[in-house]
Amino acid sequence: MSDFLKGNYDLEEEIVDKSDESESAQDEFKEKALNSIGGSMVFVEREQYVWDGDDEDTQGNSD
Amino acid sequence: MDFDSLVNGITDIGIEWHKERIVQNSANNIPHIEKTVKDLKRLEGDKASSAIVISAGPSLHYNDSLALLANSDFNGSVIAIDGSYVKCLKAGVIPDYVITLDPHPTRIVRWFGDPDFENNMEGDNYFSRQDLDIDFRENSLRQNRENIALINECASKTKLIVASTAPENLVKRAEAAGFDMYWWVPLVDNPNNEGSLTRKMYDLTKLPAINTGGNVGTAAWVFAQFWLKIKNIAVIGMDLGYRQDLPYNMTQGYPELVQMLGEENISSDLFPVIENPDTGNVLYTDPTYYWYRKNTLDLIENSGATLYNCTGGGILFGEGVVSMDLQQFLDDHG
Repeated sequence: MSDFLKGNYDLEEEIVDKSDESESAQDEFKEKALNSIGGSMVFVEREQYVWDGDDEDTQGNSD
Repeated sequence: MDFDSLVNGITDIGIEWHKERIVQNSANNIPHIEKTVKDLKRLEGDKASSAIVISAGPSLHYNDSLALLANSDFNGSVIAIDGSYVKCLKAGVIPDYVITLDPHPTRIVRWFGDPDFENNMEGDNYFSRQDLDIDFRENSLRQNRENIALINECASKTKLIVASTAPENLVKRAEAAGFDMYWWVPLVDNPNNEGSLTRKMYDLTKLPAINTGGNVGTAAWVFAQFWLKIKNIAVIGMDLGYRQDLPYNMTQGYPELVQMLGEENISSDLFPVIENPDTGNVLYTDPTYYWYRKNTLDLIENSGATLYNCTGGGILFGEGVVSMDLQQFLDDHG
């Protein structure tokens, strides 16, 4: 289909690829969303209290 | 979306919004890490026997807890969070430790006096919505300058328990103020799970990980209970709720709720009213604070620990929580 359409007309304005701008807008939105969060880490792990690598002494709890 | 669905979804929301930042901040902070919480000296005597954790809920502003503490002979450990630290100093309380956790790039530094105050506060009403301290709500330049001076004067007397997730400007500010800094990693998931963020941060920094319960106030209690292993720990300023005369749009998570649900879907169903049977106080809460409460109660219950709640209100009650007047705790454990 594109072969039939291609070259049948002339554009008055140059077409600019705006994909980069779109990504930039998404980044900006994401940044705003991140900036709206504060006051918490909003993560949780309920089973362990401290952990120091794979040292078994600190796996899981407070002793 | 109802209240329970929101509460249950908070973990996933947080992971999506924070996961890249906390790992990146941990990587950025590697050159600054000199001491870890493993370098803290083992506590002895009164410091090991009792502690007061000072969270930054509204009760800290509306009651006299800090004055009571300042005028007492309490010799136990005092552990503030970032949001209560400068208020402690103004009340004449010098904490042994202050703990900071949050990765936010422009807000958290303000608790320590922000050298870039005007730029960071531009277009941000976060502090204006805090039901914490009128000085912070007014976004006062003068107050910020005074806070910088006060903290510069006092920082060397307090150990900063700083998470690897801390933003660059906070680390720079803390170093300039002269804090004795001890680093840790927040335990945000099971390190044995594939793709664990905790393990990623550990692999970068080799710092020990400490559970946070999802917020810095609970993290301070966990630090006292499970890292310092202090026997009797009271909390003040841990409200996790709002006075009933506070408008919903002044609550901490309001913009996020609007963003998620649309303003037309914000209703009282999202802000349940809770009566604390121990104190008779009636407050309302929101999904985020309710989630903090659930996390904290789970940690207490799973560990068999006791938390002495001297907030004088709030919604933290349940198994393992003993509500008590602060004066009583000071008399019993001071």
